[in-house]
Amino acid sequence: MSRFDDVQKFVQEANRVTEFSELKDLINQTIRAFGFDYFALIHHASVFQSREALMSLHDFPDAWANIFIDRGYFFDDPVLVACEKYATPFVWTDVPQLVSLTARQREVLDAAKEAGLGAGYTIPINIPGQSTAVCTFSTRLGRELPKASFPAAQYVGCFAFEAARRVAQRKDLKKPGLIRDRKPPQLTRRQLDCVVLVGKGKSDRDVAQILGISDQTVHHHMEEAKRRYDVATRMQLIVRVLFDNHIVFADLLN
Amino acid sequence: MVDVVTANNRHRYTALLEQMHRDRKTVFVDRFKWDIPVIDGQFEIDQFDNADAIYLMALDPRRQRHLGSVRLLPSTGSHLLGDIFPHLCEKGVPAAPDVWEITRLLTTPAKDVDPRPTHMQIIMALCEFGLLYGIRQYTCVVHMHLLSALLALGWECEPLGEPQLIAGDMCGALAINITPATLQLFRDRAQSRVPVLQLSDIAEAA
Repeated sequence: MSRFDDVQKFVQEANRVTEFSELKDLINQTIRAFGFDYFALIHHASVFQSREALMSLHDFPDAWANIFIDRGYFFDDPVLVACEKYATPFVWTDVPQLVSLTARQREVLDAAKEAGLGAGYTIPINIPGQSTAVCTFSTRLGRELPKASFPAAQYVGCFAFEAARRVAQRKDLKKPGLIRDRKPPQLTRRQLDCVVLVGKGKSDRDVAQILGISDQTVHHHMEEAKRRYDVATRMQLIVRVLFDNHIVFADLLN
Repeated sequence: MVDVVTANNRHRYTALLEQMHRDRKTVFVDRFKWDIPVIDGQFEIDQFDNADAIYLMALDPRRQRHLGSVRLLPSTGSHLLGDIFPHLCEKGVPAAPDVWEITRLLTTPAKDVDPRPTHMQIIMALCEFGLLYGIRQYTCVVHMHLLSALLALGWECEPLGEPQLIAGDMCGALAINITPATLQLFRDRAQSRVPVLQLSDIAEAA
C-alpha cells in the first residue's frame, strides 16, 4: 500500500470512530507505518476538558505524560507556544528560532529529551473562533524524523483532530455534568474595530476620530463588548478576544 | 441572498461581475500574493472565467453590491485541477457530470462588510446549488493550513492525493461530498430554514 492509500484508509475509518480508544489505535497504527513512534492531540481549551480525553489522545510514554501533567508543562511547552504564532507545521529543532525561549521553556525541552523523546513534527490546527490546537508526531530518542511522510502526516493530523472533536462532542452531550464546548461570544465588526484600536493604545477620543464616530459611541462599543465577554476590564477583554482568535497579534502590532 | 450567474444571464450582472473581479484582484493578488493574471491592472480574470463558469454571488439586499462569490466549473471541461494541478490527484482527476470544481471563493475586502454572514451564505448556496443541480461532489485545491477550519465547518471531505508545495505553500486536492445532511447542518448553525439561492432566477440560469 502506498502512503496515500494509508491516508485514505485513515480518513474513512476516522469518520466512523465513536470512542477515543478506537481513534488512538487508528492514529497509532497509521503513524507507525509512516515512521513515527508517538503522537499527541492537544487542545488549549474546553474541547478535551475531561481527563479521559486528555489522557487518551496521545501515546507518549507514561513517564513523559505524567511529568507533563504533574509539572504543569501544559502552559510552558514552547512547541504549544509556537503554534499560537505559526499557522504552518514545524519541526522541534526550529522552535528556538520561532520562540525566544524562557528558562522554564528550555526546561520543558530538556525534560522531554530525558524522558526519551527524540525529534518531533508539529502541526498547528487553526480554527477561527477557537483556541489553538496541536497535533504532534514524534520519534524515540536517536531515531530520525521520517521527512517523506510529512505531507501525509498533515492530512492525518487534521482528520484525526476533527474525529477527536466529534467524539468529544458526542460524549459531552451524553454527560451533562461536563463542561460544554464553550461558544465564544460574538462581537460586531464595529466592536472589534474598537477593541483593536484600544489594544494598540489609542484613547477613546483617538478611536472616535479614526472611526468617525463619537467618544460616547466608542465607550458604548467597549462596554457592550465587555458585557458580552462578562469581563470587568478592557485588558481582560483584549486578552479574551485574542485568545478566541477574533483578532490576532498582527492586528495590534502593525 | 445569493444569485446564480451563468452564460445566459451574465448580461444582467455586468457591473456586479466587474466588482467581483476587482475584489478578486484585491484579495488573491494584493493580499495573498498569488501569481495569477490581472487585466487592466485592476481585474483578476483567468482562462477559466469562460462561458462554462457559473458564479454563486452573494449580494446586498438592493442587489447593487458584490459581497462575496465562488466560481464553479464542470469537471468534464477545462478546470484548475484537471489543467493545472492534476499531479495533486494520486488516482486520477475526478471527472463526471455530477462533479464540479470550486475555485476563487471569497468575501469582499470592503471594510464596512462583516465577512462572516456572507461566508455562511456562500457555503449554504454551494449546498443548495449542488442538491438542486444533482451535483454529488465538489473538488477543490486548499491550502493545508485552512484544512482544519474547512473540516470544522462540517464539510464531508476526502483527500485526492498527498499535499504538495505550490508557490511555497502546502496545498492538497479535496473532494467534498454534498448531502442534504450537510445543508441541514449549516442551516442549523445559521439558524435559518430559508434557501439563500434566489430561486426565481434559476429557470433562466439553467
